[in-house]
Amino acid sequence: MKALVYCLVIIGLVSVHAVLLPHVSVWGVKPDLGFVAVCLIGLIGGELDGLLVGLALGWAMSLFSAQDLVSSAVLKGLVGFVAGFAGRQMVYLSPFILVMGLLVLSCVTGLMMGFALKLNPQQDWWWAAWMVVLPQACLDAVIGGAIYWLMWSRLNVEQLMSESRM
Amino acid sequence: MRMVNIRAPYSARRVALVLAVILALGFLLLPSQLQSVLQQVGGPLGGIISWPLQAVAGIHDRIAGTWGRYVDLQGVEEENQQLKRELDLLKEQNGQLREASVATERFSALLEFKKQALPTSVAAQVIGRDTGNWYKTIILNKGASDGLQADQGVITPAGVVGRVVKTTASTAVVLLVTDPNNAIAGLIQRTRDEGIVEGTTQGQARLKYIPLLSNARPGDHIVTSGLVGGFPRGIPIGTIIRIDKEEEALFQSAELSPDVDPNRVEEVLVIQPSAIPGEGERLSIPKHKP
Repeated sequence: MKALVYCLVIIGLVSVHAVLLPHVSVWGVKPDLGFVAVCLIGLIGGELDGLLVGLALGWAMSLFSAQDLVSSAVLKGLVGFVAGFAGRQMVYLSPFILVMGLLVLSCVTGLMMGFALKLNPQQDWWWAAWMVVLPQACLDAVIGGAIYWLMWSRLNVEQLMSESRM
Repeated sequence: MRMVNIRAPYSARRVALVLAVILALGFLLLPSQLQSVLQQVGGPLGGIISWPLQAVAGIHDRIAGTWGRYVDLQGVEEENQQLKRELDLLKEQNGQLREASVATERFSALLEFKKQALPTSVAAQVIGRDTGNWYKTIILNKGASDGLQADQGVITPAGVVGRVVKTTASTAVVLLVTDPNNAIAGLIQRTRDEGIVEGTTQGQARLKYIPLLSNARPGDHIVTSGLVGGFPRGIPIGTIIRIDKEEEALFQSAELSPDVDPNRVEEVLVIQPSAIPGEGERLSIPKHKP
């Protein structure tokens, strides 16, 4: 059942990213909903779930992008693993802490992605940081925080996390 | 603030850790092999993922169509008048071009130039955009099963759109001409100087490596040179809006306004490679007609 839900999440996110998100981008930058989803899945489901969903989602999303297939899959897989690991170590997890964590992790992942992609000389580090990495990290953090806050206020997230890791 | 109480299942953690290590090692030691494996697996599986993508794109198009037809009617009359004026102008230009075309045909026959065949192409519809923020691409609803391959040129009647960089069974990803990572061989139509057209981070394009002695100027049209890449000669790329000459530079460059607005492209043509005459074929001595 869990695998089916993850498959639907992956397929749905790829479609939403390719078709709908370009219309709601802010100054040409879209949030990486795949990153947010992988973080939340890792946090709730644990390292293994985060890693596998991250790998599959990163690979599926890069099939519909010009970026190479390995970087995105590996980075998202590692993000899921780190999120699962961090979630396990954390005693208290409020939406604010999650937002800050997402902001930092998205910045680090974005810079690593920029390094892995070997972009054109026009797209230097300064451009990458200000035009892509930072705006995307802000959007990721806001959207991830909003989704987690909704889950936090309506569902018993802690119980969900405990049950999913049993 | 709430307390999280988690029991750690060690087997799952170990599996995850081992997988993460294998993955990181594979990424560092065998990147190209890993890439080709993922690409091969991605062909058929990408086709499956593209079904819901096409379904969402279809729903999106219908909603956009309904919006365009019934709600967004403001300014239609004014646009209609403008289009009528443009149509009259184009009719006049069309007449002149017909004359020029007839004359060209006559001269071509006289010089026994081999007539360049019109390239065969595959029509495709744009169903989406890049899933990331690093590249400017569009996703087409035709893929490897329709004969599309990497490096094929993509055009509209207005001009060059970009180049296919990746395919699945039923979709293709096209890197736009305005992406800085794209490079297309271009030619200044008036002066016949060649260069390389690449995108800019501002969403425009520029022609690099123009000879210093070239008298290119704003307003000159740039077309494909047909030397390399998936384009035949003479497809419009853009118009020069500014010339950049730096002191002690070996070349000059020009900023272009692309003829095709990639953000508004809906249908495109993908040029098949067999249809593009090569440089040798184009310049070969034509057979004598009886």
